[in-house]
Amino acid sequence: MAKHSSSGKYAIIGLGVVAGPQSGRSERMVAAEAARRAIEDAGLTRADIGGAIDLRRSGGGGDRASYTDAYPRVLGLANGFYFTSGRGGALAGLGIATALSFLDRGIADYVCLMGAVTDWSQAQESRKQGHRGMAHAEKAGYWGKPLGDLRAVSHHSWMAARHMAVYGTTSRQLGAISVAERAWACMNPEAKMHGRPITIEDHQSSPLVAEPYHLLDISLVSDGGIAFILTTADRAKDRPKPPVYLLGQGFDEVSAELWWDKKNFTHMAVGRAREQAFRQADLSLDDVDCAQLYDCFTGEVLFQLEDYGWCKKGEGGAFVESGAIGPGGSIPVNTGGGLLSCYHLGDLTGMAEAIRQLRGEAGERQVKDCNVVLTTGHGGELVSPGMCSIHTCTLLGRHP
Amino acid sequence: MSDAQSAGGGTWNKPRPNIDHDNAPFWEGLRRHKFLLWRCHTCGAAYWPKAYCRNHDNAPFAENMAWEEASGRGKLFAFNRHHVAFHPGFKSEIPYVYALIELDEGPLVSSTLVGGRQPKDVYDVGQRVEIVYEDHPTEGFTIPRFRIVD
Repeated sequence: MAKHSSSGKYAIIGLGVVAGPQSGRSERMVAAEAARRAIEDAGLTRADIGGAIDLRRSGGGGDRASYTDAYPRVLGLANGFYFTSGRGGALAGLGIATALSFLDRGIADYVCLMGAVTDWSQAQESRKQGHRGMAHAEKAGYWGKPLGDLRAVSHHSWMAARHMAVYGTTSRQLGAISVAERAWACMNPEAKMHGRPITIEDHQSSPLVAEPYHLLDISLVSDGGIAFILTTADRAKDRPKPPVYLLGQGFDEVSAELWWDKKNFTHMAVGRAREQAFRQADLSLDDVDCAQLYDCFTGEVLFQLEDYGWCKKGEGGAFVESGAIGPGGSIPVNTGGGLLSCYHLGDLTGMAEAIRQLRGEAGERQVKDCNVVLTTGHGGELVSPGMCSIHTCTLLGRHP
Repeated sequence: MSDAQSAGGGTWNKPRPNIDHDNAPFWEGLRRHKFLLWRCHTCGAAYWPKAYCRNHDNAPFAENMAWEEASGRGKLFAFNRHHVAFHPGFKSEIPYVYALIELDEGPLVSSTLVGGRQPKDVYDVGQRVEIVYEDHPTEGFTIPRFRIVD
C-alpha cells in the first residue's frame, strides 16, 4: 500500500517554547514571545508569516475563547488570516489540519501555530480568593456541578475507576505511569519536575484527590507558550533546523459510538484516528520510535497504550508495570515528562517534545535513531455524564 | 418505585443546577418525585440527556419523543470518592462518593451516593441502586441522589 500523496509534503521548521512560571506576565505576552521564538528558530522574519492560528482550549472544561487582543497584533505579524482552533486538549493536531488548506492554495507560505496558558499564575490568584485549583477554568453550568462534579478529576477519575473494576487494574499500575514519566522529566531540564524523581511508594502515599486518583495521577497546572511554524516540504529545505515532516493525521470521536456503548470509560476514540494516520503514512505501530500520548491523567495513557495496540485491552496495567514506557523501555512514552511531569499546554507539550526528538535535540533523553513519533490530543466539551470526545493522532517523521 | 427522601432544606451553598430548555421537564419531574427519561415513541429507546433517536429518522425537533416516568433504578457502574472539596459548599461532605449509575432503561446518569451503605473500594460495583429525592423547596429544585438497596 502506498502512502497518501499528502504524506511528507508539509513540515514543521520552527519551534518556540516559553516554559516555567510566568507570574506577572499576560497570556498575550507569553503567546507573542513563543511565536517570536518559533519564527526566529525557523530562520524567518515576521513578514514571512502568512497566517496565524491561536490554539485555544475552547469547548473543553476551560473556555478561553474570548479575549480582546491576540498575539499577532501584540507581536506585530503581518498575517493575512488569524483564527482560533482547538477543543479541550486537542490543539496542535486540529491546528495542523486546518493550516494545510491555506498552504495548499498558496494563501500562506508559512503558518504560525501557537498556544499559551497562564493557568498556574491564575490559580495562584484564585487561591487568594479562597478557591482551590483552577476555579477560573471550568465552564459554568454543566450537569454535575451541584453534585460535586467540580473539576476535570471529578469525572476523569471514573475512567480509571471503571477500568480497574472491569479489568482489575490497580492504583500501583497507574502509578507506574507517573513514575515512568517522572523519570523522563528528570532528564529534561525544562520540566517542572526535573530533579524530583518519584517511586511507586511516593505515588501511593500522595494524597487521594478523587479516589482512585492520587495527586500524582493528575497533570500539572502550568504557565507557558508553545509555537511552531508549518510550511510545505519544498520550503522546509535549507532552513537552520532539520525539518520535521507531517506523515499522517487522523481523528475520531467518543460521541460516535463509544459513549452510546458505555465504553468511553474504558476506551478512547482511537480507532479511526489510528487507521487514518497510519494509512496516510503507510506505517505500522512497529515503526513508531516514541509516543507522546495525551496524559491529562494516568488513565488516559493506559487506555491509549491498549487502544493503539501496544498491548491488549485490559493488559495495560501489567504492560506499564513492566517498565515498557519509561527510559529503556520498548515504547518510550512522553519522553519530556508529559503533562504529568513536564508542563501542561495541551497536546502542544507532546508536539514540542516530538519535534525535539526528531531533530535530535532531546539531550540526555534522546531516543536513539528516532525517525517516527506518534503524538495525540484529547478533549472536548462534556457530555452528561461523560467525557472529552475528540481524539487526534499525528504522525511526525525525520524523513518525508 | 421508591419515594425515599433525604434531608434537604437548609441553605443551598453549592453551585445551582443548570436548568435549560432541554432539561427543564426533567428537573420539574424531580420536583414531583418522578424520575423521567427521554423516550422514543417509535421504538421505545430511552435517552438521557435529551437526544434525537439514533435508531431511525425523527420528527422535527425530535417530537416523536417525550419525557416519561422511568424506574429510577439501576446498578452502580463506577464511582470515585472525592477527598477534596473544590468548592466551599462541599467541605462538610468530603469524602463523598460520586457515582455513575447504569439505569435499568440503559442510559448512564451520575450523582452522589447517600445512605449508610457505601461501596468498600473501587472494585465494589454492580450493586442495585435507586433514586433518592433531596428536596430544596426554598430553592425551587430537587436534587437526585442514589442509594444502594441490595
